[in-house]
Amino acid sequence: MDAARRLSARRLTRLIAGRERSRGLLIAFEGPDGSGKTTQRKLLARWLESRGHDVVSTRWASSALVKPLLKVRKRIHTLSVEEYSLLHAVDFRHRLEASVLPALWAGQTVLADRYLFTALARDAARGLDLDWLLHAYAPLLWPDLVLYFSMTPEDSRRRVASTRSPHFYEAGQDVTGLEDPLASYTRFIDRVVTEYENLSVVFQFVTVDAGDAVYRQHTRVRELADGAVKRPWPEFSEPAVREWLTRSPHLAG
Amino acid sequence: MADTITPPGRLIALDGTRGKDTLAAAEALGEALAAAGVTAAVSRFDASGLFGELAAARGDRLLSPRTLTLVYAADLAFRLRWEIRPVLDAGGVVIAASYIDTAVAVGAAAGLDEDWTRELLRFAPRPQHRGRAEERKPGRGWKPRLDRGYAEYAAAMLAGTPPDLTGKAARRTAMAWLERQGRATCTVPGRGVAALTRAILRRRPAARVRT
Repeated sequence: MDAARRLSARRLTRLIAGRERSRGLLIAFEGPDGSGKTTQRKLLARWLESRGHDVVSTRWASSALVKPLLKVRKRIHTLSVEEYSLLHAVDFRHRLEASVLPALWAGQTVLADRYLFTALARDAARGLDLDWLLHAYAPLLWPDLVLYFSMTPEDSRRRVASTRSPHFYEAGQDVTGLEDPLASYTRFIDRVVTEYENLSVVFQFVTVDAGDAVYRQHTRVRELADGAVKRPWPEFSEPAVREWLTRSPHLAG
Repeated sequence: MADTITPPGRLIALDGTRGKDTLAAAEALGEALAAAGVTAAVSRFDASGLFGELAAARGDRLLSPRTLTLVYAADLAFRLRWEIRPVLDAGGVVIAASYIDTAVAVGAAAGLDEDWTRELLRFAPRPQHRGRAEERKPGRGWKPRLDRGYAEYAAAMLAGTPPDLTGKAARRTAMAWLERQGRATCTVPGRGVAALTRAILRRRPAARVRT
């Protein structure tokens, strides 16, 4: 039994390494609210498609499985910091297994509109321990490229304020205790940006100035995506890929 | 994130590999405590309703042991906030059926690293007492059922892809893991109830200890 398991482990390792050439690229879009991530993600998707790439997009907290549970509880403000964080981790892991990894394996390019760094930044800003958060999101699937749309907390606040009133949790009202969503957001986004900046060093974000004109940002995003080098799975993401592959025997052959 | 002060109440963790047995054990222990004049609250698996809602929303989507463990953690966070901590803070007695060990044991049976599960659940306070539900039909695998305990739920939700939790081997792994958890654990119901009840009643008032 043990010998059989070791053998299959070795085969999995070979399979993962062998897929490195044909697998798709994973690009994450990160940044504070109002930084233009979604616009840039859509522009890049269209450009990549025009060049013949098969592109899949995945949005934050969007899985058909977890979204309904999350939505109700968010609306009635009943989630504690831990519950909020854990349910997002469920959503993330499920999307990773059900759509991100299968797409990458099949050679599609995946554009992630927010990735786990959103959870790390927001939940750390809520006072959760970063080590515990990383643990909850382990094993990590490293993106090949993390585009960080950087803007100051003041600019983020101004952009958000000009379009809408932020939601309860988005504004961090569960931790600030402030009645006014915008006042709460102002305080909360300050902490989120600080956390993002710490993460940007560890996870080697590539910064895009969210204050630039949309077309200029797009040009830069194109260049970055074009020149993106794969972060080797065997070195960075093997445990995550292996775990998913173990549960997808039809792919493992 | 974790409390630095242990609340004054008593937390009893009851774990086991079958939901029915775990609840039966909680009931037996609750009755024994009641006979001794102590009322105990019971906190059950899926008090948050997350598992039930997830099963309803599942369709043909596949879940994994890891996502289920994350849901377990979310449910436990809910139970701690609404069912367990309030009782402990008020100096009462609460029986958690199931608690941390069930998640670790089922996770181990499904191939998850036990340290990962333990670390994930580290926000949950250490129980003062631990009991293990007597295992019935130990020779059988888990029945995939959405309306029993966590293990049966996992067996149902993971059906169709590896790991297979319905076979005997998976349950045996979980039982063996629970058994290895040491002497402090005692089996309930049966004679274990009396021993555990005595231990709970005999314990001195909680000191204000840092965790």
